[in-house]
Amino acid sequence: MGEIKIAAQSLRMSIHTRMQYRVDSLVATLAVFVREATNIIVIYLALMKFDKINGWNVNEMLFLFSLLFLTYAFVVSLFADLRDFSCMIREGRFDRLMLRPRGLLFQLILNNADIIASIGHGTLGICLFLISANKVGITWDIPTILYYISAIIGGVLIQGGMFILFSALSFYFVETNSIREIFYWNMRKFAGYPISIYNKLIQTLMMYVVPFAFVNYFPAQYLLRKEDMADYNEMYMYIAPCVGVVIYLTAYGFWRISVKRYKSTGN
Amino acid sequence: MRTYIEFALKKFQNKMAYRLEFFMGIVNTVITIVVYLCIYKALYGGATEIDGITFQMVATNFVISLGLSDAFKYNEMFLQDKIHDGTITNEFLKPVNFVFRMLSENIGEGLFKIIFNFIPALLFTLLYASLCPPKSILNLFIMLVSMMLGYLILWLISFIVQTWSFWLFSVWGIITIKNVFVNILSGSLLPMWFMPATLRKIISFTPFESIYFTPVRIYLGELCGADILSGMAVQLIWICILALVAGAFWKNGVKKLVVQGG
Repeated sequence: MGEIKIAAQSLRMSIHTRMQYRVDSLVATLAVFVREATNIIVIYLALMKFDKINGWNVNEMLFLFSLLFLTYAFVVSLFADLRDFSCMIREGRFDRLMLRPRGLLFQLILNNADIIASIGHGTLGICLFLISANKVGITWDIPTILYYISAIIGGVLIQGGMFILFSALSFYFVETNSIREIFYWNMRKFAGYPISIYNKLIQTLMMYVVPFAFVNYFPAQYLLRKEDMADYNEMYMYIAPCVGVVIYLTAYGFWRISVKRYKSTGN
Repeated sequence: MRTYIEFALKKFQNKMAYRLEFFMGIVNTVITIVVYLCIYKALYGGATEIDGITFQMVATNFVISLGLSDAFKYNEMFLQDKIHDGTITNEFLKPVNFVFRMLSENIGEGLFKIIFNFIPALLFTLLYASLCPPKSILNLFIMLVSMMLGYLILWLISFIVQTWSFWLFSVWGIITIKNVFVNILSGSLLPMWFMPATLRKIISFTPFESIYFTPVRIYLGELCGADILSGMAVQLIWICILALVAGAFWKNGVKKLVVQGG
């Protein structure tokens, strides 16, 4: 019970901090929204000309993108501290958490919420979902809704787990930002497209190294059943929601082992 | 002039110090090129050309735009940081023009990215995909000049937005929104050829068309003879207009500047 109270309190704190500069926060939220919409605008304009990309029409593409944004909205409100973890270690802020009577990961997850990014991504995700959900031929019955919800949770866990893994790497290496830049941020930019359009190397990366394919592509395939699914094992659609749990637990185990190596940078 | 060349060289050497960043930068650029070529290929869906535009032309457009936009990537919050921590006053005491110093440092950084990031990535890409050759050697050289003009347009637009930090608490949001406009409307992601007709008409009245698309068309030989001259004239006109606007914002901003303590 105490945990929930702490969580609510720190969420309120995050919101309060941002609300000190109202106009600035509003502009920043709008900026995140517009920046993330870049790819959507480009694919929308492109499909006005080309009609389809590997069999996916405009609404199906919007639906595919919406999964990415909706899950990320939760990820940044929960895992913001782990996203900026190397910075936290450098500034010695991590030491502070060690003195408090709660689990480290628990504090990291609940402490900071990047409200601006969360609202920016979330609004975009909801807009895309509302535009596309009725036009892609999904019948929203109970099993479908349950699958959809667990796919969202799975997607959040996959990305959260990746943040934990990358953060745990900073206990071994001083500089982890460029690895994260390549594998996480770079891949994320391209995760909105159906992975079947990529060459084998990038497909493998997206499925087994940074498994964004299980965040949006395979769940969308379960709901839409496009032809390009023939290239992959059908199992992947069904296990997509579970992948998140596995990755998260692995990440958690790795974190527990790695955190013992922590040496403060001093201050 | 010599001083400013020194600034550019210093920045260039500074960048050399970070080896890992340099290596990762190449990997990043290669991945970006490969991914976008995959996207265009999927859009073409096996067709060799659409509206007379071949896949190779689209790929060339993307690679040239990427090279230029890579050169342009630097810390656009520089001026705001200088104003926030008050160190901008030190800059005014130095016997060099601060704005030209900024420009030369940015150019130094850009040259570094072109030589050590973009060109190696381009060589890797050529193993994987074929691009259009330049129409002629002369076209290649004219394109390089036109690209420099394109760079100045990009730089001036960025500088204008940066000067707003004299009035605003943070320009991060506005810079981000500006970059979205530049990325979409300049045709670096979706080539200008495929823009809806009305949108393309509107873009032709803005500086965005002069950034990447003019150099690309010169390279491909879509513009020849007098058209090359008029294309570059339009670039120069935009540079003059933007420089005037930038000068006005800068002058008024400096007048308004108040630094607390320091």
